[in-house]
Amino acid sequence: MATLFWMQTGACGGDSLAILSAEAPSLEGLLAEHGVELLWHPSLSHQSMRHHDQLIERILAGEQTLDILCVEGSIVTAPRGTGLYDSYRGRAKMYLVRDLAQRAGAVVAMGTCAAFGGVHAAPPNPSDCIGLQFDKAAPGGLFPPEWRSRRDLPVINVAGCPAHPHAMTQTLAWLTTGLPLRLDGLNRPAAHFSSVVHQGCTRNEYHEYDVEETELGGRACLFFNLGCQGPLTQAVCNSDLWNGVSSKTRAGVPCFGCTAPTFPRDEDLFRTEKVGEVPIHLPLGVERPRYMAYKNLARAAAPPRVKNKKMET
Amino acid sequence: MARVEINMGLNRVEGDLEIGVTLEDGVVVDARTIGTLYRGFEQILVGRSPRDAMVITPRVCGICGTAHLYAAVLALEQAWNLPVPANATRIRNLCLMAEGIQNDLRQTFLFFAPDFCNPRYQDHPLFAELMAAFEPFKGGLHRETLRVTRRVVEIVAHFGGQWPHSSYMLPGGVVTPPDERRVLACRAVLDEARAWYERRVIGAPLDEWLALDSAESLFAWLEAPARAASALGLMTRFTRSLDMHRLGAGIPHMISFGSWCDPLQPGSHLLPAGFYDGDSGRVQALDQARINEHVRHSWFRPYAGGRHPFEGETVPDFQPGGDRYTWAKAPRYGDRVVQTGPLAELLIAGDPLITSLHAAEGGNAWLRQFARVRRAGVELLRARRMLDELAANLDAPHYLAPPPGSERDGQGCGMVMAARGALGHWVKIKDGVVERYQIVTPTAWNASPRDSSGEMGHWERSLIGVKVRDPDDPVEIGHLIRSHDPCLVCTVHMLGSGRKLRFAP
Repeated sequence: MATLFWMQTGACGGDSLAILSAEAPSLEGLLAEHGVELLWHPSLSHQSMRHHDQLIERILAGEQTLDILCVEGSIVTAPRGTGLYDSYRGRAKMYLVRDLAQRAGAVVAMGTCAAFGGVHAAPPNPSDCIGLQFDKAAPGGLFPPEWRSRRDLPVINVAGCPAHPHAMTQTLAWLTTGLPLRLDGLNRPAAHFSSVVHQGCTRNEYHEYDVEETELGGRACLFFNLGCQGPLTQAVCNSDLWNGVSSKTRAGVPCFGCTAPTFPRDEDLFRTEKVGEVPIHLPLGVERPRYMAYKNLARAAAPPRVKNKKMET
Repeated sequence: MARVEINMGLNRVEGDLEIGVTLEDGVVVDARTIGTLYRGFEQILVGRSPRDAMVITPRVCGICGTAHLYAAVLALEQAWNLPVPANATRIRNLCLMAEGIQNDLRQTFLFFAPDFCNPRYQDHPLFAELMAAFEPFKGGLHRETLRVTRRVVEIVAHFGGQWPHSSYMLPGGVVTPPDERRVLACRAVLDEARAWYERRVIGAPLDEWLALDSAESLFAWLEAPARAASALGLMTRFTRSLDMHRLGAGIPHMISFGSWCDPLQPGSHLLPAGFYDGDSGRVQALDQARINEHVRHSWFRPYAGGRHPFEGETVPDFQPGGDRYTWAKAPRYGDRVVQTGPLAELLIAGDPLITSLHAAEGGNAWLRQFARVRRAGVELLRARRMLDELAANLDAPHYLAPPPGSERDGQGCGMVMAARGALGHWVKIKDGVVERYQIVTPTAWNASPRDSSGEMGHWERSLIGVKVRDPDDPVEIGHLIRSHDPCLVCTVHMLGSGRKLRFAP
């Protein structure tokens, strides 16, 4: 069995709701088939708060093993570093997180808020939010970069706003096996953060032939004008569809890059910053001169069904 | 860039709530709802492009982001005076209904009913039945609710790409048109949800249930074996055995912002908005200008009386230990404290069964929960209608691009009925960016602290007089607070022990 304690800090609860949409495995499946023992979840546990408080005491006293600590939400440090803008029983939650993490086999940041600070850390960052082991893209948050949990792991960043349901349940399921978990440079599980959102987007052929929308509501690509971050954002949204059926970019909503430490970026979220006609930020790893040459050729090669936007997406 | 301090962070969502009560001889004589989290969402919007509200505000709340998105888009459409095509309104409504069904089923069977599994009730004659139904991850209804609600939010994903937290509504419409595939995929989800609801939740055909129009007919109807064994029947038998139909009335006045914009008549709703005056028993037209918020007992820089959301300010002023005790403001309608939620929504809309039950027994915890189960039925019916209307109008526009120059400075408000009740967004735009943004959530109304004149909020009032058997496990308070559908989970806790208990923290 792997014991799991889930706590919410400066959170909207979106990750807790999103995980209910997971199917492979589902949250129920994690419990039934992967040996997870859910000690506590703030939305789902039916025991009393007295039980919750005793559980925490027993974990801190070393009487209850804590294998996995999931933290959902930004770490609130205001006012003046006290953390009291987010308290439980008059005590800053950031200290509760810190104490529980010291006892945990693995600590998992569920969502971009817990990983990097997230939407609550957007300017002017009214409640001085940070992530567990990052402050936006800078290493070091509540914990310094060298911090490790009992299993010698950094905080595992299952980023996303919300995190993809399967990025959450599959990471947890993998942790229960005891096998090594491969991480990327931002300590995100590599399997879920190595492809880009653009991969598998049904608007890809429009991008391929440089047929770009200037207004929302259409069928073509959103990258050049409408702020889509799909080619720059690492996530499984288009290779493991949301709710089993779709993704934002498929539906016609730009990708906002919510798995990145910089989410939400400061500029207009529905507009692409450009130099001339070409986005400042190109698809991951692409060289500007070659990209521009390719785009010019691509536009000329576009077949009518693409040019005339006849394809359903 | 104009930077003005604006109204509060939306700490009042999601589990960051503590309740302080004072007991005398086991009876609640005083109560305080304490919002314990300040995030400052509205400040984050100041200085940003107005459209960014469609990305930022859904993230206020993980369980009702669609409602925030709907309110944000209505506020901008009002500010910019934009027409909305009928199909866009139908798709918005369909998605809000799907989110509502999800909420109503999860709130009822994942958040409210698990309290019945408390060891306190192990000698109750229904305990075995309750455990078999509602025990988390083991009970039949608990597991089935997880499965059905997972399916229901697929409807939002078909039009918005994902649930939760998408941004598929935009000023002038929605991003995706209906087509045969989307309509039929959503239809399959709805059909499955409806079949389950009929079989397991109410034990009867939906039309028969929605046609019930009086308290007498309901109680006779519930006697039939299929209905008595249904989730609604079991919950009703159990909660009424605890006298929950006599408890937790709270504030008699209610407010609804109206449910689901009428696709063909902009400005009106499929279920009407209104203010229910608990003194006269009459519904009055709603006047948003009367909405105002007080901060006398909140951790914000004080100002006198109440302020309309367009004029509100939010300057954190954290002073624990005094007579200010929460990060929640106190919204009022005129000088009235009000409650909101499915009971308010259906009562103000004139649902005959809810009206009859309310007349017979008044507002109470059982009726609030009952109204939520009933609303899920209304949503199932209305969502099907939206789909049918979309199917009949596949080629009608789903989006009308705002004409150049229409995104001008000004102000607008967007008001919807979220799953938990009345939700409003108020935006002021200056120099092309957000100058002020104010959100008043349903839970702000219900979980309101005292106002400038010392009047308690609705939850606070609803707890007065409640008898608490075990102060260490105040399950009675859990039942009552959860019957109001607090955001996800509500931390009910008490400090100290003995005859008199003091507030937390």
